[in-house]
Amino acid sequence: MLMHSAVQNAAEAVVGGAVSAADAARAFALPEVTEGPWWVALIPFLPLLGAALCGLCAAFKVKSKLPAWITVALLATSFAITVAMFQQLSGGASISHAFRWIEFRWGPEADQIFTANFSFYADNLSILWMLFVTGLATLIALYASEYMSHEVGTGYCRFFAAFCLFVFSMSCLVLGDNLILLFLGWEGVGLCSYLLIGYYYKKPSAVAAAKKAFIMNRIGDLGLLMGIFLTFVHFGTVEYRELFALAEPYVLALQQGRIGDIPAIVNLIPVLLAIGAFGKSAQFPLYVWLPDAMEGPTPVSALIHAATMVTAGVYLIARTYPLFLASDIALPLVAWVGAITALLAATIGMAQFDIKRIMAYSTVSQLGFMFCGLAVLTTAGGVFHVLTHAFFKATLFLACGAVMHGFAGQLDLRKLSGVMFMPGWLIVGLAMLVGCLNLAGFPFTAGYFSKDLILAEAFITPTMAPIGWILLFTAGLTAYYTFRVFFRVFVGPKEFHPGDDAHGEAETDVEEHSEQVEQGNPQAEAVGEKAHDVGDEAHGADEAEDHEHGHGHFHPHPPGWAINTVLATLALASILAAGLYFIGDKGWVDGMLQSSTAQQVYLTQEGTRASGYALVTAEPAAKGTFLGFDPHKAMYYVSAVVGLIGIGVAFVLHYLGRTEAATSRADKLLPAMGPIATWAQDKWRVDELYDMVIVKPLRVISHIFHVIDKLIVDGLVNLFGVLPRMIGSALRPVQSGQLQGYAVGMAVGLAFVLLVVVLMAVAGAGVAS
Amino acid sequence: MLYLLMAVPLLFAAVIATRPPEHARWIALVGSFVALGVTLFAMLQFSYAFGGSTQLEAHTPWIPALGVTLDVGVDSVSLLLIALTALLGPICVLASWTAITWQQRTYYAWLLILQTAMVGVFAARDLIFFYVCFEFTLIPMYVLISLFGSTNRKKAATKFFLYTFTGSIVALAGLIYVAWWHARGAGEWTFAIATLGETARQMPLSVQMPVMIAMLLGFAVKVPLFPVHTWLPLAHTEAPTAGSVILAGVLLKLGTYGIYRFVLPFVPEAVAVAAPTIAVLSIIGIVYAGLICWVQTDVKKLVAYSSVSHLGFCVIGLFALNHVGISGSVMYMINHGLSTGALFLLIGMAYERYHTRSMKELGGLAAKMPVWATFMVFFAMASVALPGLNGFVSEFMCMMGVFQADDAWAAAAGSAAQVPGSTPGPLGPWFALAAGTGVIIGAMYVLYMVGKVCFGPLVEPAGHDQHAHGDGHEGDHHLPADLTPREIWTLLPLAAGCLVLGLYPSPVLDTIEPSVSNIVSLYDDRVELPAMMPTGDTDAPADRPAEVMP
Repeated sequence: MLMHSAVQNAAEAVVGGAVSAADAARAFALPEVTEGPWWVALIPFLPLLGAALCGLCAAFKVKSKLPAWITVALLATSFAITVAMFQQLSGGASISHAFRWIEFRWGPEADQIFTANFSFYADNLSILWMLFVTGLATLIALYASEYMSHEVGTGYCRFFAAFCLFVFSMSCLVLGDNLILLFLGWEGVGLCSYLLIGYYYKKPSAVAAAKKAFIMNRIGDLGLLMGIFLTFVHFGTVEYRELFALAEPYVLALQQGRIGDIPAIVNLIPVLLAIGAFGKSAQFPLYVWLPDAMEGPTPVSALIHAATMVTAGVYLIARTYPLFLASDIALPLVAWVGAITALLAATIGMAQFDIKRIMAYSTVSQLGFMFCGLAVLTTAGGVFHVLTHAFFKATLFLACGAVMHGFAGQLDLRKLSGVMFMPGWLIVGLAMLVGCLNLAGFPFTAGYFSKDLILAEAFITPTMAPIGWILLFTAGLTAYYTFRVFFRVFVGPKEFHPGDDAHGEAETDVEEHSEQVEQGNPQAEAVGEKAHDVGDEAHGADEAEDHEHGHGHFHPHPPGWAINTVLATLALASILAAGLYFIGDKGWVDGMLQSSTAQQVYLTQEGTRASGYALVTAEPAAKGTFLGFDPHKAMYYVSAVVGLIGIGVAFVLHYLGRTEAATSRADKLLPAMGPIATWAQDKWRVDELYDMVIVKPLRVISHIFHVIDKLIVDGLVNLFGVLPRMIGSALRPVQSGQLQGYAVGMAVGLAFVLLVVVLMAVAGAGVAS
Repeated sequence: MLYLLMAVPLLFAAVIATRPPEHARWIALVGSFVALGVTLFAMLQFSYAFGGSTQLEAHTPWIPALGVTLDVGVDSVSLLLIALTALLGPICVLASWTAITWQQRTYYAWLLILQTAMVGVFAARDLIFFYVCFEFTLIPMYVLISLFGSTNRKKAATKFFLYTFTGSIVALAGLIYVAWWHARGAGEWTFAIATLGETARQMPLSVQMPVMIAMLLGFAVKVPLFPVHTWLPLAHTEAPTAGSVILAGVLLKLGTYGIYRFVLPFVPEAVAVAAPTIAVLSIIGIVYAGLICWVQTDVKKLVAYSSVSHLGFCVIGLFALNHVGISGSVMYMINHGLSTGALFLLIGMAYERYHTRSMKELGGLAAKMPVWATFMVFFAMASVALPGLNGFVSEFMCMMGVFQADDAWAAAAGSAAQVPGSTPGPLGPWFALAAGTGVIIGAMYVLYMVGKVCFGPLVEPAGHDQHAHGDGHEGDHHLPADLTPREIWTLLPLAAGCLVLGLYPSPVLDTIEPSVSNIVSLYDDRVELPAMMPTGDTDAPADRPAEVMP
C-alpha cells in the first residue's frame, strides 16, 4: 500500500517545519522496508494447519499420540522457517502479504482508506520473538507429548489443537504488520489461554480461573482497542510501516524539547496501548488472573503463562516503541506500574506454599522488570530479559511440572523434600537448580546479565533512580523466594507426601502409575525411605489394592525421556543464553534491536518539562550514577551481592537444621512478623478487594436491573397492553382460542391501517384539489 | 426473479397443505432448498459494481388510484439480507425435524409463509407493500409461538404481537405522512420508496423530527432498542427453536433494516440531531441487557437478552452516520444472524434432550456432548467478537465508526486533514468507550454461560436417564447423547459462515460499500460545512444541523 497523501499532509501540518529539519536529524533510523518472501506466512499458518489436523483427529477419535507428533513436526518446521528468515534478514524489515482482511475506503472521493491485512512484518524484533516462541513451543510440545499421555484418547487432541492455535495466534500477534492483526493474535492467545487453563473443564476452579483470565484480559483489551482507534483517528493508519514514519516527527519534537508540538492525542495513545499491555502481561492492577491460571496443565503454564503469551505486553511496547517515545507520560507510567508489580508480586511469592504459584508470582514480578527495562529506555535490557526469562522460567515450570506429574499433583513445598536425590530425579533437580540460579540472578548466569542491564539503566536514566532501588530490593526478594523453593523441595532430607491429584492431572494417573508398579519398576520401588502414608484415603486404598509389593506406599514415577530431554535442553539453553551478552559491542540483543524501531535511546538531564523528559540517540556524557559509581560497573557487584544475600537467607532459614519437610526455621520467625505474613499469604487480599468493590456491586446492580426489567419496563407496557385487551375482550363474545386471538388482532389492525390510509387519501385529495 | 423468490416458499406451503402431515417436513426442506437455489441464482444475476442502485426490479400495479404498487428490487444490502434469510430457511426446517411432532402441516406451512414475508420486506420498493410484508411476518410468527412454543407461549405470542404491531402502526403513520407530504406537493399519490425519500429530505427539520420519531418508535420496537425491548426475552424463550432462530436471525433485522432503509435516508437532518440520544439508548441497552444476561438462570433467556445487547452495537453503528459505522452495522446484521441463530439452535438441541433450559439443571455437558460443547464454545466466541470470527469485524467497525464520528476531532486539531482517520459526526470516543464496556460485559455473561453449561461437573436434570431410556413421552425421540449428523449439518454452514466472514470479510464489505455510500453521502454533504470552519465549537455538535437549515 502506498502511503496516503492525506496522512502525509497531516504529519507535515502538525509538526510544521520540523519535517524539513527531520531530513537532517532523524529521531531514529527507520528500517528500510522491502517485500518479504511469501514463505514467512507459513510461520503462522503451519501451526494453524496443525490445529485443523488435531481438530480432525478429535473428530475421528484418534486414540494415539498422533496429534502430538503432528504438532511437534509442524512447529519444528515453523521454527526452521523462522531461522531461515532470521538468516535472510539483514537489518531492514520485510512485509510478506498473505491476503486482504479488513479493508475499506470511504470519503467523498473514496480517498480515505482503512487497511488491516494478513501481512507479516519481519524485522529483527519480531523475528527474535518468533525464534524463541516457535523454538520453545516445539520443545514444550515434545514435553507435553509425554506429560499429557494419560489423556490420550480423551483430551489429547483437544490439548494439541489449542496448543497449535495458540502458536498461530502468537505468530499473528508478533508478525502482524498492523495493529489489528496484532489484536487478532492478542485476543486469539487469550482464547487459547482460556481453553487451556480450563482444560480440566470438570474442575470448577479451573473453569473459574479460565473465565477470570479471559475477562481480566478483556479489560486490558478495551484499552488497547481504544488505543488502536485513537491511533487510526490521529495517524490515519494502523500499519506499522506508515505509523512509525508518521510518529517520527513527534519523537524528534520531544528530542528537541518542543513538547508543545505534541498533541494530547499522541500523548494518550501509548497510555492506552500500555493498558492493554498491563492486562496481557499481568501487571498491576490486572495481574490477579495469572496465578490462578496455574490451574492449566503445566506445559501450558510454561509456554503460555511464563515464556510467551505474557510477554506479549512487552512486545507490544517494544513494537510500538516510537509511539511510546513520542509521549512524555507513557514510559514513566509503565516504569512505575512495572516496579510496583515487581515488588508486590515478589512479596506475595515469598509467602506462598504452592511451588507452581510461587513461580507464577515470580513471572508477574519478572514481567515487571521487563516493563521497567523498556521504560528506562533499555529496550535491549527488557528484551534480553524476556529472552532469558523465557528459557529459565520454562525450565522452572517444566521442572515443577515433572514433580507434580511424579508426585500425583503434589505442589506444596511443605510436603516434599530432597526430591533431587531420589532415583531418577537428578536431571529435574539440576534443571531446577539452573533455573533457580538464573532467576535469583546468581553471578554469570543469563538472568544475572539481563537483570543487571535493567537495573543499571534505571540508575542511569534521570528521574528513574527510585525505580532502580525498588527493583534492586525486589531482586533480593526474588533470590530468597526462589531458593526457598529449591532448598525445601529439592535438597534436604528425603520425604514426600503424594498429592490428591488436586490439579486433576491424574484421574487416570492412578491407573497408569499402578501399571508401572506392577511391572516392577525398580526405580519406583527403591524410593521411599521416609515415604509417608498417602494422605488421601481413597487414593491410598486404590494404590494398596492395585499393587502387590508396596504395602500401601505411594511410589513417585520419575520422568521419562521426553521430559528429561526437554529439561536438559532448556537448562542448557538457559546457561548458554548468558553468552549472548558477550556477543557484539553491547550484547547480541542490543545489536539486533539497533536495526529495528525498538533501538535504544537515551534521556538527558536537561528536559524542557518538569518531568525532565528529553531524548537523545547518542549516549550522553553526563549519566546518572549509582551512589557516585558508573551504574553498569557497580551493578555487576551490587546485584551479585544482593542475590547472594537472598540465597543465603533462604539457605539459613529453609535448609540449615531442617529435618523434615514441613518445618523450617522460617516458621519460627512468622509470629514475629504479625499479620504481615498472613496477609502476604492471602495475596494482600487483592482478589477479595476486587470481589467486594467491583464484582459484588456489579452483580447486585445486575439483579436490580433484572427486577426492573421484569417489573417496571415490562409492567408499564403490560399496563398499556391491558387497554387494547379490554377493548378486545369487549369486542369478542366468544372466549378466544389461539386462532381467534390473532384473527381479531389482525382484523383490528387492518381496519386501523385502512382507516389511516383512507383518511390520508381524503386529506391528500383535499390538498390536491 | 424476486417475485419467484417470494412465490417459491408460498407454493411449497400450498403443497404442504394438500399432502399428508408426515410429508410436510420433506416438502418444506425441498422448498427451502429451492428458495436457496433461486436466491443464489439471483445473487449471480446481481451486478455488484452497481450495488448501490436498485436491481432485479419488477413493477406491478396494485392500487393504481393511490399509486400503490407491488414493485420489488434490491440493492446490495437487501440482497445480502435476503441471502441470510434463504440460508436460515433449510436450517430452520432441519432444526425442527424431530422437535415438532404435532400439527406438522401447520408448522411447516407457516414457516415457509414467514420466509415469503421476510423476503418481501427486503425486496419491496413500495412503501405499502413493504409495510404489508412487515406486518405479515407477525402472523406466522404468532402462530409458531402460540402453537409450538413452551409453557408461557400464549402470553408471549400475544405480547409479541401487540407490542410490535403497535410499534409498526406508529411507524406506518410516520411513513404515510411522508407520502401525504409528497402528494400535497406533487399532486398525486405514490408510495415508491425512492421518490418518497427525495421528498422527505426536502422537509424542514420541524417536520422531519416527528416523522423520525414515529418511524424510530416502530423500528426500535422491532430491533429492539432499550426501553422497548421487553417483548423479546419472553418471545424468544417461549418460541420453538426455529422460531427463535428466525426471530434473532431475521426478524430483528427488519428493525435495523427499517432504520437503514427509511430513517437514515429519509430524514437526515433530524437523524443528525437525534443521533446522540439514540446512541445513549443503545449504550444503555448494551450495558443494561448485558448485565441482565449475567444473572440469568435460563440459558435461552440469556441469549435472548444478549440479542438486545448486541443489537445495541448494531444501532449505534448506524447512528455513527459514517461509512465505517454503517458498514459495520450492516455486517453486524448478518453476523448476529449467524452466531446468535446458531446459539439458539444449540440451546434447542440441548432442550430436546433434557427438556430444561435452566442452568441450575444443566452443567458440564462437555463431558456428555463434546461435539455440542465444541460448537457452543465456537459460537460463543463468535458472539463475544473474537477476532478471526465474524463478530469481531462488525463490532470493531461499529465501535470504530462511533469513535471516529466526532466533529471535535477536527475542531481540536484545527483542521480535518490533521486527523485523517476521523470523520465528522455527532458521537465520539466517549460513546465508543461506553459501548466498549459492552465488550467486557459480553465476555462476562457468555463465559458465565459456557462455564456453567459446557464446563464444570456434569449436571443433568433429575430423572433424565429415565426419560432417555423409558418409552418416550411427547418430543422425546431417543436422541443419542451427542449431536446427530443432521444436527451437525445444520450447524456447519453457520460455523463456516462465521469463519469465512471473520477471516475474509472483504467481499462482503465490498458488496455493501456502494449501498452504504449512498446513505453516507447524504450526511457528508451537510456535515462537511462546519468541519471546514476553522474554529468549530466543540461542545454542541447536536445543534449544528439546525444552524445549517435555512
